[in-house]
Amino acid sequence: MSYERFLADEPVVVTAALTGGIHGKEANPNLPETPEEIGKAAGDVEAAGASVVHVHARTDNGERAFSTERFQAIDEAIRRHADDVIIQPSTGATGAPTEKRHLSLQTDPPPEMASLDMGPLNRYERLTSENTVATIDALYDEMADRGIKPELELFNDGHRNEMYGLLDRRNLADPVYATLIFGPGTLTRPRPRNVLTAIAGLPDGALFNTLGFGRHQLPFATMGILFGGNVRVGLEDNVYYESGELAESNAQLVDRVVRIARELGREVATPAQARAMLGL
Amino acid sequence: MPCPYLDYRESADGKSFDVARPYCGAAERFVQPMRADVCNDRFELDHETDCEIYLDQADEGQS
Repeated sequence: MSYERFLADEPVVVTAALTGGIHGKEANPNLPETPEEIGKAAGDVEAAGASVVHVHARTDNGERAFSTERFQAIDEAIRRHADDVIIQPSTGATGAPTEKRHLSLQTDPPPEMASLDMGPLNRYERLTSENTVATIDALYDEMADRGIKPELELFNDGHRNEMYGLLDRRNLADPVYATLIFGPGTLTRPRPRNVLTAIAGLPDGALFNTLGFGRHQLPFATMGILFGGNVRVGLEDNVYYESGELAESNAQLVDRVVRIARELGREVATPAQARAMLGL
Repeated sequence: MPCPYLDYRESADGKSFDVARPYCGAAERFVQPMRADVCNDRFELDHETDCEIYLDQADEGQS
């Protein structure tokens, strides 16, 4: 099913995860943290071919921030620097109270999309991102109330069950948009056969995004392109351009994956095309 | 109360920043933003139970 999208030359939606909530400039000094840096990075990745930017908020010293005001400042900076890119804030917040996870949804105007983690995952040795069913439902309900498209983040195969649970409990608009995530720890083991298994387990008509952490970013993005999916790259998930060489920017990572998509015969989606494909 | 190994520095370990960032004196490196919430005991997080670096250091202090 998904490979038919490759054969049909369906454009690839490229999401750039600009900042993240885990590491910062201590890992790569080119990672954007302030609203102005994030806004400028969004303009640069849009020019390189991304149609969606996934954003987290930080304080001026790089620590995690969750306030609506900070997300509003990021939105406004993105609108100053980018033409039409789709803004997708995170609702993840390991170790933070659930109510803080709603704050990124409350900007004016609301974001067009937002991430929705579909289950628990471990962080370091002693933390867990809980993502209970009740939390997922509450975040989804606020997204639905505000007209926000959820990007369902499946960190492992068990989260596929959780996705079907959400589909049973709630009436999600088509197409369902799921990000298939591969990497260490709690994540799906990054092996090619697991990509095919994950794709085969999606609901009919669903669109998917592939996300590989660290060194897996490039090969799993390439597989996503080949298998008719969409891709997410960026400094949130991988700070290197190649082994031992830090990436110069998010745009550098986007530029490479756009080049690969075109070499494989797929054009990248403009923000307008992405909106049409995702039903925004 | 924040972790006793937490410090805020503008430069260390060959890195420098415009704004002072969280630095772990036990690990001798700048702290990832997510870990900084543990260092600062923010929300329900507690460095005495949630940070393996602190606990390893405490174990070494007892041995």
